[in-house]
Amino acid sequence: MKLHRITAMLWSYYYATINSIDRLFDVFYWPILDVFIWGFMTYFIQGISEVNILSVILGGILLWVFLWRSSQDLVVYLLENFWSRNTYHLFATPLKNSELIVSLWIMGLIRSLIAFSVMGILSFLLYHFSIFNFNFLHFALFVSILVLFAWGIGLIVSSLIFIFGTRVQVLAWSTIWILQPFSCVFYPLSALPSWAAKIAVILPTTHVFEGMRASITEQTINYGSLLYSLIFVLMFLVIASVVFIWGVKKSKDNGELAKPE
Amino acid sequence: MDVIDVDKLVKYFPSKRGMVKAIDNLSLKVKKGEFFGLLGVNGAGKSTFINILSGLTLPDSGSINIFGKNFFKHEEEIKSRFNVATAYYDLSRNLTIRENLRIYAKLYGIKNPHEKIEKLAKKFMLNSLFGVRTRQLSSGERTKLVLVKSLLNDPELLFLDECTVGLDPDIAEITRDYLQQYNKETGCTIIFTSHYMQEVEQMCKRIAFMDQGRIVKIGTAKTLVHELNQQKVTLHLTDNMEKVKRLLQREKIKVIEENRDYLQFYVKNRKKVLYPILEKLVKAKIPFDDLHLQKPTLEEYFIRKSRERQK
Repeated sequence: MKLHRITAMLWSYYYATINSIDRLFDVFYWPILDVFIWGFMTYFIQGISEVNILSVILGGILLWVFLWRSSQDLVVYLLENFWSRNTYHLFATPLKNSELIVSLWIMGLIRSLIAFSVMGILSFLLYHFSIFNFNFLHFALFVSILVLFAWGIGLIVSSLIFIFGTRVQVLAWSTIWILQPFSCVFYPLSALPSWAAKIAVILPTTHVFEGMRASITEQTINYGSLLYSLIFVLMFLVIASVVFIWGVKKSKDNGELAKPE
Repeated sequence: MDVIDVDKLVKYFPSKRGMVKAIDNLSLKVKKGEFFGLLGVNGAGKSTFINILSGLTLPDSGSINIFGKNFFKHEEEIKSRFNVATAYYDLSRNLTIRENLRIYAKLYGIKNPHEKIEKLAKKFMLNSLFGVRTRQLSSGERTKLVLVKSLLNDPELLFLDECTVGLDPDIAEITRDYLQQYNKETGCTIIFTSHYMQEVEQMCKRIAFMDQGRIVKIGTAKTLVHELNQQKVTLHLTDNMEKVKRLLQREKIKVIEENRDYLQFYVKNRKKVLYPILEKLVKAKIPFDDLHLQKPTLEEYFIRKSRERQK
């Protein structure tokens, strides 16, 4: 891997962001809107509940942004190249798949951190919810699992874009939301019906959000389930990387990469 | 030294009618410093061939050696030494000219990128548009941008697929001159496709004519057109147009174009066909004002071959 090619790609994402209202909206508008809507709603529920619901919901939203932005942005920035018909020139350069993957990962993480910081500041200003309420080590572990999982999802969706082209681009925005109901972002695992709980318990995200609630309410964290999540996401990431490389190869094989939009 | 050595290349693409053979057992060697033209009708396989050589499409079988090395084993190194320009693909539309060129300069690891970008942009008259986003450029300006990008890494091998499409005639001429000069000075091998036959004839030392994924003919422009073995005759007349037409009809010669004061037709053999016709005209006391003999052009060769294929 060559650092100059990874930084070249990071510069291209930076330029694409500052030149596009869409990409700026993604990182600021939607996360801010989330903080407003969920925050005000939970502020209202807080008044009729004894549980520290504000912390639980806002904590959920703040952590969710890592999964959401890291996975979605990875695919959207790849799509930017497809929409621009720039993929042809990009893949004629010595850029390696691994360099492309790493650049997309870094970009997804940076955008997640920006969105998280904005939401964190807003949550403090509006609801006096401080992100420093999190136990730092717990928080780092939660974020790591979510980001690794998001990168894996992003790579799987990207491989489908490579194989089928932009006709499946809707997956870039929709895939992550399929997981949300089963990830127990805002409610405990016990709230799910038994059939949904069976799916939820497999997902690493469920264990992260269960852990987050335990951390906020100062209950004991189940480190065993977090270790399971970590192993799961690492294996998933390796598989997703292999699928991504296979997807690029497939798109070169079926001519999709060199096909004008 | 052969810069390109392709052997028995085969590529199929899936289609609604089943698998279509886009490249059919194609073998080709191109020497260092050659300005090599690829001709063929749409769908002949020119772009697919260039896409395979650029690493954008994978062949089903066959071998590709570029700079004497196996392409798939040394892809990174080989790609850093060549570049591609095509009118069919843009650079990032949301980025300005300067931003796009900076990124590609970084991707190729170019030293002094600023200087290089300035120099090339000036050559192609893009320096006044540095801050303009690619999507706001005209198609000709976008083509120029892609050309500048293709020259950033001082390529030793350059694939130019219809790279002069949409350019104003004066810019097209500057581009052709620059490419010829670059080819001469650096010894860069250039693979060139264009629908402008004059351009191909003017620039390419060797030309391959492709049809249905195969190279059906290869040679210089002169040898290709010589194969047609015919000359275009323009006969200028003031009167007797119908008489001459009847005479040509009897000799089984087809008039390809006629106007108020001239007729055009092809003859395969001057001595055996044209001279007897002229003798008959003199004997019949049919005067003609002027006579022009024209060697066939590459365009005529292209048209003839394309029509043969359609038949």
